[in-house]
Amino acid sequence: MSCLIVQSDKTLLLEVDHEQADACRRAIAPFAELERAPEHIHTYRVTPLGLWNARAAGHDAEQVVDALVEFSRYPVPHALLVDVAETMARYGRLQLVKHPGHGLVLVSTDRPVLEEVLRSKKIQPLVGARLDPDTVAVHPSERGQIKQVLLKLGWPAEDLAGYVDGEAHPIELAEDGWSLRPYQTQAVEGFWHGGSGVVVLPCGAGKTLVGAGAMARARATTLILVTNTVSARQWKHELVRRTSLTEEEIGEYSGTRKEIRPVTIATYQVLTTRRKGVYPHLELFDSRDWGLVVYDEVHLLPAPVFKFTADLQARRRLGLTATLVREDGRESDVFSLIGPKRFDAPWKEIEAQGYIAPADCVEVRVNLTDSERLAYATAETEEKYRYCATTASKRRVTEALVRRHQGQQTLVIGQYIDQLDELGEHLGAPVIKGDTPNAQREKLFEAFRQGELSVLVVSKVANFSVDLPEATVAIQVSGTFGSRQEEAQRLGRVLRPKADGHEARFYSVVARDTVDQDFAAHRQRFLAEQGYAYRIVDSTELLAGDDA
Amino acid sequence: MSTDQRSGCAPPRTLADDLRARDDDALAALLHSRPDLLSPVPNDLTQLATRAGTRASVVRAVERLDRFALQVAEALAVAADPCPYDELLALLTGDGRPDLERAAGTDPAPDAGTGPDGDPAPEPGPDTYARCAERLPRALRTLRDRALLWGGDDRLRLVRTAREVLAPSASSPSPTGLGPTFAEATSGMPPGRLQEILAAAGLGATHDSVSALAALTGLFADADRAAALLAAAPGQSGAVLEKLVWGPPYGTAEHRTPSPALGWLLDRGLLLPAGDRTVVLPREIALRLRGGRAHRRPEPVPPAVAPRRTHPPETVDATAAAQAYGALDVLEELLGGWETEPVPVLRAGGLGMRDLKRTAVRLDLPEPVTAFWVELAYAAGLVASDGTADECYAPTPAYDDWLGQPPGTRWARLVTAWLPATRVPGLAGARDGKGRVLSALGPGLDRGPAPDVRHRTLALLAGLAPGGAPAPDDVVARIGWERPLRGAAPAAADGAEGAGAAPGTRAANGGHGEALRARLVRTTLTEAELLGLTGRGALAAYARELLPPAEAAGTTGTTGTTDADATGDPDDTEDDRPGAWGRHLTAQELPAAAARAARGLAPLLPEPVDHVLLQADLTAVAPGPLERVLGLTLRVLADVESTGGATVYRFTPESVRRALDAGRTAADLHAFLAAHSRTPVPQPLAYLIDDVARRHGRLRVGAASSYVRCDDDAVLAEIVADRRSAPLRPRLLAPTVLASPLPPDQLLARLREMGYAPAAESADGDVLIARADAHRTPPRTAPEPSPDGPPVPDRTLLGAAVRAIRAGDHAVTAAHRPNPHKAKVASGARAPGGGLPRTDSPDTLATMQSAALTGSAVWIGYVNADGAASQRVIAPVRVEGGFVTGYDHTADEVRTYPLHRITGVAELAED
Repeated sequence: MSCLIVQSDKTLLLEVDHEQADACRRAIAPFAELERAPEHIHTYRVTPLGLWNARAAGHDAEQVVDALVEFSRYPVPHALLVDVAETMARYGRLQLVKHPGHGLVLVSTDRPVLEEVLRSKKIQPLVGARLDPDTVAVHPSERGQIKQVLLKLGWPAEDLAGYVDGEAHPIELAEDGWSLRPYQTQAVEGFWHGGSGVVVLPCGAGKTLVGAGAMARARATTLILVTNTVSARQWKHELVRRTSLTEEEIGEYSGTRKEIRPVTIATYQVLTTRRKGVYPHLELFDSRDWGLVVYDEVHLLPAPVFKFTADLQARRRLGLTATLVREDGRESDVFSLIGPKRFDAPWKEIEAQGYIAPADCVEVRVNLTDSERLAYATAETEEKYRYCATTASKRRVTEALVRRHQGQQTLVIGQYIDQLDELGEHLGAPVIKGDTPNAQREKLFEAFRQGELSVLVVSKVANFSVDLPEATVAIQVSGTFGSRQEEAQRLGRVLRPKADGHEARFYSVVARDTVDQDFAAHRQRFLAEQGYAYRIVDSTELLAGDDA
Repeated sequence: MSTDQRSGCAPPRTLADDLRARDDDALAALLHSRPDLLSPVPNDLTQLATRAGTRASVVRAVERLDRFALQVAEALAVAADPCPYDELLALLTGDGRPDLERAAGTDPAPDAGTGPDGDPAPEPGPDTYARCAERLPRALRTLRDRALLWGGDDRLRLVRTAREVLAPSASSPSPTGLGPTFAEATSGMPPGRLQEILAAAGLGATHDSVSALAALTGLFADADRAAALLAAAPGQSGAVLEKLVWGPPYGTAEHRTPSPALGWLLDRGLLLPAGDRTVVLPREIALRLRGGRAHRRPEPVPPAVAPRRTHPPETVDATAAAQAYGALDVLEELLGGWETEPVPVLRAGGLGMRDLKRTAVRLDLPEPVTAFWVELAYAAGLVASDGTADECYAPTPAYDDWLGQPPGTRWARLVTAWLPATRVPGLAGARDGKGRVLSALGPGLDRGPAPDVRHRTLALLAGLAPGGAPAPDDVVARIGWERPLRGAAPAAADGAEGAGAAPGTRAANGGHGEALRARLVRTTLTEAELLGLTGRGALAAYARELLPPAEAAGTTGTTGTTDADATGDPDDTEDDRPGAWGRHLTAQELPAAAARAARGLAPLLPEPVDHVLLQADLTAVAPGPLERVLGLTLRVLADVESTGGATVYRFTPESVRRALDAGRTAADLHAFLAAHSRTPVPQPLAYLIDDVARRHGRLRVGAASSYVRCDDDAVLAEIVADRRSAPLRPRLLAPTVLASPLPPDQLLARLREMGYAPAAESADGDVLIARADAHRTPPRTAPEPSPDGPPVPDRTLLGAAVRAIRAGDHAVTAAHRPNPHKAKVASGARAPGGGLPRTDSPDTLATMQSAALTGSAVWIGYVNADGAASQRVIAPVRVEGGFVTGYDHTADEVRTYPLHRITGVAELAED
């Protein structure tokens, strides 16, 4: 009996406890996306994107078929094998290459395919003259767009047009007393050989260092796009600490500061600011001859940035993310514009290697009081979530939890400002929210890191890229409805490895029998699929245990 | 049984003679290959020969020839009759002279001469001709065996009807691309014109047309002289000839005002006018230009079917077996869905496109594949229309039996239904000849050649070494060679193809749509894969049981010429064993063979598993096919997320609620999961079940007709305890509420009888004031007055009435002449009181026909589509196809009446 079961809907079920599981995982990882990784059986999915990712990484259909046939417990349906071969054969029939005379051209090894795509209305405006039966000119500025459209047509183009080197700038990793972890090195190498692409690593697994490693390989001016200012400061801090770069070489391009230096860190927000229908900060992309563009948190990349990125196809692009799940389903744009996935490691695996802290996820179910239930039942539909997420019963349970973990560094994370204010008041803890000035934020975070503060109440501003290594307990009281990636990010806050190596706790306080519970179930899906098993605890038991 | 036997005897003079000389085996072989000759059994050989010469039978036989035999027959049809062997061979291989086409042509562009297929394939080489010579005796033997050819080798004669069917004519061009003979093309030409041609060709003038023709034919038959003549052709003329040489031989040209090039040809009779604006290339000249060849590309050897890939036989069997098992799953899922939500039958029969799409989405399969499964279930008798007023498709009782059987038996049933089926699911969605959409399960999907092609395809697969998978195109080409005329029409056209289609129409093929035959081959290959007869395109070992033994035994022993061919041995025996093509097991043999195949399949099927793996993300994975009961229970308790080798289930609040609704308790579910899980039940799952169970059934819904409300618990308790209240069937819902199935008024009465003083309550809870009810009817309208006479008619009505009366009067007053031969019938026809005439249908027909001949009017009774009877006087003009057309005196116009609606006919008395 082997360990893999191939399903007719192209999912692959891998029995993880099987002795061949490791070998099998390595064999199928290049072409199958890990979809769910609960405790016994991991689910991978074979998608066209995944197969093309594999082609882009140099695997051929034969290898894929061999891997499936070798490890499959039951005979693999012939139709699936044929489909795999056919899908993979679609990649690379069209290639974007540099032509010495005509610049960027689209070349086909299969003329009917070229004819087919050239007949598409969406392609016609993007191409120029037909140079010969197999070649057509493409305007360099349409390089990204044509890749996007071709992918939609099901004929993904292989981009062999290469990259500009960009303005050289010496960057070295300062590996004094530390070094890149093996998987980080692999990720950097995977990215560099692929040219452009996305590296998927769990929160807390050191994505910043992968970025730094890539910069050290590129040795060129770099533009780093991050989600917000706090995160920008952390990147800067980390780069100064881990590389040969100095404070002066790193610029911040945000709402408050507009510095353009060899390494510039910009926020998505400032780039997507619109004045009178134009994006005034777009020139940032052209302000220097960037050799590398790093996108932090690719899964949050706003739509306008995709548009700019389409024009940046001649530069190396590195996407960093914890999850490729996009709530808006634009995974294919990430594929065509930033690049294929170059590296991926399941969370549990990195946890097993000790690089991220193990976490105990607990869902605390709170029984609402009768009066709260009545109020909930009569609330307007759009108010229901807000009401049940912010009930007093939940607050009491939250307070009890904080008391229980007294002395440990605790974050209370929520969505609704008044709820947070109220919690802050009851817990006697400072609140960080959207209108907290950056200086104040930095000060509070620093105090928290130093252990001067043990409880911090934060709104969703701290969802991303806030490096709080010492946080060991996170209590989530409300969230952005059923957002799966938010849950993952919040868990990520407590996953930085702890000095004493002890386990992190992640509590999600949920009102029973309300939409809060439904949203929680949805939010937890991603983590449950990543192998984090939620325990469910009744608030009454929890409080009773405290009293005892 | 071929030429050698006959060489000593006197040459036969007719086909009957020829048949008479054959031995019994040969006759048996003939009857086997042409079973239509057997019904009814002919009285003697003359009758057999006559019947074998009828057009329908010949067309049938010609359709069942392979390509080379057909080409030989076509060559014979353009050759002299009778034709010596050598002459025939020359027609196939050429006369050894260089093609004059090349010599005459100035433009040697390779695509100048488009063959009948339109594709400029390379010209055949000497190798092909050698094979032609080698295989000609064999093709002739085939034709002889089928009684299409008779006579010795020196006098080969095609049966006359076959010659007519195959010979080129203006209406049906021949695949040889040859035109009419010079003599045929010049018939009707003025003798003076013939003399001019004679002169232009450089021949001496003659007195009569016959000798002129003979002189010209002789010229073209003489290779050297013809070559000399053609060599003199100006360049442009050569190009014109080249266009027509490989057919079609007709070209559009202004031959009345010809260009110089055209004129040169017309003057010498190299082209002849064939119509107002068409010219034709006479057969002799075309043959001369072609180097004597009747076919551009003779195909003496069937295309080889060689394995494109060879898989290990174990892999093939395992893959096929998995697919066979999957087939059962798919059908179960398909029909399982239909048993709860039956799908409606279209009014015209069949399954609606929308329902097919919906089913396809549910099964997560492409629509054509879904159509196949639906049709298969139908063919196997697992699903049928329920025949109720709102007709729906639903599983049959046989489906329940089927479900209870072991997998091998279930599979055997499907295969037994599939092999002989004539329905072609692949046609669903296409349109028939009248533009109607063909629907799955609907009418119009039957195609006669389907079973033959299916079996032949499987037999070809069986002919390969175990594990060998051929390229589908090779199989298509091979079957196209073996039966070029069977199913050659495009697939979408309605069932008109088959025996009825004249071979001449095949020239039209190739333009639009793939031939039905090719499509059948391809669908057979995909369906065999879906059913698990093949795995990775190669026939599974157990599936060989389903083919007749001789063919399943791999490459069959050849009896005729032994070709040691490098490409496998395409020279298989089907020509030698007439009727073996597409041979299949009889209805009696098939079940036993299917059972044998199922036995072979059984050990390959996966063992059912009795456990699942439960995971914290609320999924359960069954790592193989589940035991039936377990699977059914799990399907209720959880939603199926993905199927295949394993099954993934997901638990949701809805699915758990479904299980609770189905009568399970939370404890049951916990126990069930614990019993069947290899792993501990994850906590979130236990919570989910408990959470749902906690809320399940908290609200209760029931029906009651009346209630008794009382603030004093004791009174209600008393009522419940009272024995007299038993008929009230009281039920205490709460201490102060009692419900009863009795209507309120009865309850009130009973309670009063029992000595209580209940008050009725309105819906709002107010006490109703009791008052004697004033009885009322439902709304009614007042009666209409009924005066003692009808209303006075208006002018329009009057006018119409008068016209109707006049017309009727004409019909009645025209006195009817009694039928002198059948007085009884006639008197019956003239029913008393001016009723409808009644005669039986032969009489009606005879009388109509004679009236149509004599042009006289008759009196008929006619019942229209609404069932209204009328009498009419008509003068029949035409009686055909069940209709009579004639001038209707009653209606004063020409009308057509269906004969079956005419109750009877009587001749009019002469007056």
